[in-house]
Parts: sequence; structure tokens; C-alpha cells
Amino acid sequence: MKTVAANYYDGKNSRQQAVTLSISDGMLEIHADQLIREVALSQMRISSKLGNTPRLLHFAQCGHCEVLNHADFEALLQESDVHPQSLISRLENSLLYALAATLIAIAFVFASYFWGLPWFADIAAKRIPARVTLNIDSQFLHVIDKNLMQPSQLSTERQQALQHRFDSLHNEKDIPSHRLEFRSSTIGANAFALPGGTIIITDQLVKLASNDEEILAVLAHELGHVSERHPLRQLLQSSVVGLAMTWYLGDISSLLATAPTLLLESNYSRNFERQADLYAAGMLLMNHISPARLADILQELEAAHADRKQPISPRSRFAELFSTHPGTAERIRVLRSYPAH
Amino acid sequence: MRFSFTGTGSEYFRIWIMNLVLTVLTLGIYSAWAKVRRMQYFYRNTRLNESSFDYHGTPVAILKGRLIAVGLFAAYYTFLKFMPLMGLAIGLCIALIMPFLLVISFRFRLYNSSYRGLRFGFTGSIKSAYFTFLALPVFTVLTLYLLAPFTHQRIKAYQHNNTRFGQSEFTFNAGVGSFYKVYFFTLMQLVLIIVLLGFGAYRILKGAMAHIPGEAVIGIIFAVYMLLIFASLIVVPYFISRIQNLIWNHTALVEHRFSSALSARGMTWIMISNFIFIILTLGLFKPFADIRMARYRIEHLALLPAGSIADFIAAEQEQVSAAGTETAEFFDVDIGF
Repeated sequence: MKTVAANYYDGKNSRQQAVTLSISDGMLEIHADQLIREVALSQMRISSKLGNTPRLLHFAQCGHCEVLNHADFEALLQESDVHPQSLISRLENSLLYALAATLIAIAFVFASYFWGLPWFADIAAKRIPARVTLNIDSQFLHVIDKNLMQPSQLSTERQQALQHRFDSLHNEKDIPSHRLEFRSSTIGANAFALPGGTIIITDQLVKLASNDEEILAVLAHELGHVSERHPLRQLLQSSVVGLAMTWYLGDISSLLATAPTLLLESNYSRNFERQADLYAAGMLLMNHISPARLADILQELEAAHADRKQPISPRSRFAELFSTHPGTAERIRVLRSYPAH
Repeated sequence: MRFSFTGTGSEYFRIWIMNLVLTVLTLGIYSAWAKVRRMQYFYRNTRLNESSFDYHGTPVAILKGRLIAVGLFAAYYTFLKFMPLMGLAIGLCIALIMPFLLVISFRFRLYNSSYRGLRFGFTGSIKSAYFTFLALPVFTVLTLYLLAPFTHQRIKAYQHNNTRFGQSEFTFNAGVGSFYKVYFFTLMQLVLIIVLLGFGAYRILKGAMAHIPGEAVIGIIFAVYMLLIFASLIVVPYFISRIQNLIWNHTALVEHRFSSALSARGMTWIMISNFIFIILTLGLFKPFADIRMARYRIEHLALLPAGSIADFIAAEQEQVSAAGTETAEFFDVDIGF
């Protein structure tokens, strides 16, 4: 008859007793020097295997046994035809299932990131009321006005002229509500849109442009972002990614946890840039402006930022993954391929 | 008498990944079962004097708690959107019942923990919970966090003084002053790092600023960000290790005392390397990281027995009320026993 060494605890005090267990006629016998207890197999719960942790036998009345020798215990159970193994511990103990689970988990994470998250952000963005997004805009403007931007140095006439030309552009689709803001900036020539439809254009960009059509092209591109709710979707997506990262890596520092978020986030904008270009091209053509003007200003911007960015050249796919404004060459090529009018 | 931890990363990885996948496939329902497996794995691998700890929480109780929590938060967000005032009222209610929920959660957690067949228990009163978890935090904010170490000490005192093992009681005797000391040295360290590194970074950037003003601004923002990250990498592990040492070195179970000997350096190494490995493996290192951290914290904890530890006696089996168990895991709040 097989036996297995165990520790016995009576549940009334913290004394540990070294015992041997054996099974006969559906009864578990607990021996120290002599038989100290007999429990029917139906009156106990045998824990399923959980890694290499001790196997536990909890008795219905009170007390429990702790078995460290897995092999002997399995042999004892086998001999007595007891099979407490649960489905879950079988899954956990198979390398094959672990591998399959790993692949499923990776697939799930990728699918959530590439499809689930954009889908969620798109739906959520449509439901966020305008007063919320306008509030975000004014807070954002407040921050950048304090830190990065100064009031525009352009003359009021120049601003009004640009505003007027921009307002007189028409489009077959509805033009989303928006507001144009001029600023002088320390971050150089730039234009960007905020969640509530505020479009900011810097003096440096206005000066960089060779003609007003280029400025209108940039504004049409930003209007494309506003129309597709890109800034809001981007904000939602990065918030979710940031939260997930903080939850996953938050042990050490929630600040540090946001670092990978920045890396991941740049990936989203690629698609957005393409969509905004498409919108701009359609709108420019409607107004008899060639989409090539957008390509021109993109090239001028690229040249102006050449100090820190690589020159326009076909980038490697890997580099594209980590770049916020990737494939500029590709975008320029597409924009130039439109028929003139 | 040292605590030991026998879990391994490769073993836990299989449990963790199965938990993750089953949770996803069951739309989150399995998470309650997953929690029980996880807790059991860590408890049963924690050994003291040749015996393991065990976790007895039932998945159904945890699931009910989680459903209620999800329901409450869903109600809160829905109302906040359509009827903001009602939403705020619900938010306020959640804040008001939070101390109660915390007590229930401590009771659940401790009652479902055992060592050598004896259950732990929590006897803290709900009245003191309201003082500790509602009044004190409010005062702390009002005093611009000057009270934070005091509040921290009161929270730990409330938790440890109201914990028992069988019929035997834990006591906690770390004074408020010792908490202020840890907070003070942490703050000094932070200031020192920021001043030293900030000065170096400023000197490097000053040169760059003359060249390209536009670029320098982004450079400065980036540098400040990196500085804070670097500072937190040193300060956070320091704080965690000092606080855990302080708390356990002043905790006793009847006449038996505890000792915790975490080093800030060891903690820093584990946290930084865990972080790097998790990033490099796109997250798959997480279960290994959890095991490393648990091993480090548990194996630096020891019981200093003043006599036999075989003579603890079980408490009268007063069950944690069924309602209590059901609502216990309301928010799965775990502010660290």
C-alpha cells in the first residue's frame, strides 16, 4: 500500500504534525505514531495542482493536510482511483496550451491596439459634446500661450486677409465648425488642430510659405483633421494607451509608464495624415487650387526642419514606425499626382 | 525565522497567461477565478517555518463584488453625462461609503488568509475607518500634504492594530516622527537629484539654446521629463523599501516581532530591470517581474519568535457574514496589508 508524507494541522491551533497518509476503502488514514484520524474521501476537498505549491487536503469538519511530495501523492491518488485534477490545472501544466495562450494573448493585444482602440475612439469622439471639446481647446491654448507661443506679429490686415481667403473656400462636404488662431512660436513653422476645432498657425509658417495658396493648403489639411475628429480621437487613444501602460507598468512610476506611450502613439498619426491630405486635396481642387501646393509647403517645412530631421528620402519601414510625420516623401508624391485642375 | 518564497517565473507565467486568455475569452468573467488562482499561487508559495500560507477567497464572492463595482461606476458615469447633478451625488455617495467598503475588503482579505490552518481576521471598527480613510485624507489635502506622513502612520496603525491571527493580536508601534523622517529624507533626495542633474542639464542646454532656439525648447521639455523619470527611478524604490522596513520592524504578533531588511539599492535594481525587461519583451516579462518582486519583498521579511509559534489558537469560527463576503470585493481595493 502506497503512503505519502504530509504535514497535519488540526485547525484549532498552529501546531504542525508530521504524518503519513494512506488510503483504504475510500477512507484517508492519517498516521503519526499511531492512527490519529480517519476521514472519508467524500468529506474532503483535494486542491488541484497549482504549479509546485503544496497540495492541500481540506477536511469538512476542520483541519487540513499539506503535501509537498507531488509524485508520491499522485501515485497514491492513482492507486486509489481518485482524480481531483481540474481542467484549469491541466491547461496550466501543458506547455502546448501555454504557447497557444501566449499567441492568443499577443493576437488579442495587437487586435485591440490596431482595430479595437481606433474603433472605440471613433465612436467615443462622436459622442463627446462640443462644449467639452471647446473647453479642452481653451485649456490647451492657455497652456501653450504661457509656455510656447506669443501673440502673432502679423499685421491685423494680413491676418484678416488670410482669414477671409480661408473662409471663402468651399467644399462639397460640410465644413466643420472651426476657429483660426495666429501665434508666433518658439517651436518654428507649424500648424495644428485641437479637439474643439481650433486651428493654430504660426507666423513662422506664414513667412515660410512662398504664396498664400500654400497657406490655404495647410489650413485645408488641418480642416481635414478637424473634419475627421483626429485631434479628439488621438487624445482619446493616447489616454487609453497611457492608462493601460500605467496600470501595467505602474509599480515603479506612473511617469515612466508614459514613456512607451509616446513611442506607440506616433504610429497612429500616419493614417490620420493621409486622410487629412485626402480631404485637403478634394477641397483644394474644388477651389481651383492644385494639391501640389500642399506638397510644396511640406517640402519647405521639411527643409526648414532639416537640422533635426533626415532629408526627404524613402524611409525604411522600421523608421516609419517610430516617426510622427512619416513618409513625407510618399505624401508629397501622392499630392503631386493629382491632375492640376 | 525567515519567510521564504518558492514561486518561479516560468511556472507562474503559465498560470498568468492562462488567466489572461480565459479572462479575455469570457469577457472578464473569469477574472474572479483568475484572482483566486493568482492569490493561491503567491500565498501557497510563501513559507514560514516549513508551512505555507493559503488563500480561501471564493471566485463567486469576488465576481459579485466586481459586478457591483462595475454597476456603480457605470451608474456614476451615465448619470454624470446625462444628469450631472445626479452623477455628482452618486460620486459623493461612493466617496462616503468608501471607508465602509475598505473595512469590508480588509475583513474579506484577512478572513480568507490562513497559516497552518488558522485564519487571520480584521477587527477594525467602521467608525475609526471613517476617521482614518475619510477625515484624515481630507485634512491632508487641506494642509497641502503636510499631514501626509501622519495620515500614513494612522492608516498603518489602524490596519495592523486591528489584525489578528487566530485569537492573537497584531500590534503596531511606529511613531508619527519616524514616518516624517522617511518622507523628509525622500524629499531631500528628490531635491538633491533635481538640483544636481538639473544644473548639469541646464549647462549643456544653454549652449544648444544659442544655436537653435526653437529646438532648444523641445530639448528642455524633454530634459525635464527625463530628469523627473530618472529621479523617480531612485526615489520611488528608496521610499518603498524604507516604508516597508519601518512598518514591519514595528509590527508584532503578541510578543513575536517582525523584521524587514529591504535595501533601497536592491529594490532599485529589481524595479529598473523589471521595467526594462517588460518593455523589451512587449509585456511578456510581467509574470516574471511579479515573482521577482514578491520574492525580494518576502525573503527580506523575518519573524523573530519570542517562543514557540505552535501555540496560537483558532478564533471562534465567526463567519464573515454572507452579505459581507458578497460585497467585500466591491472595488477590489487592496491598499497593501
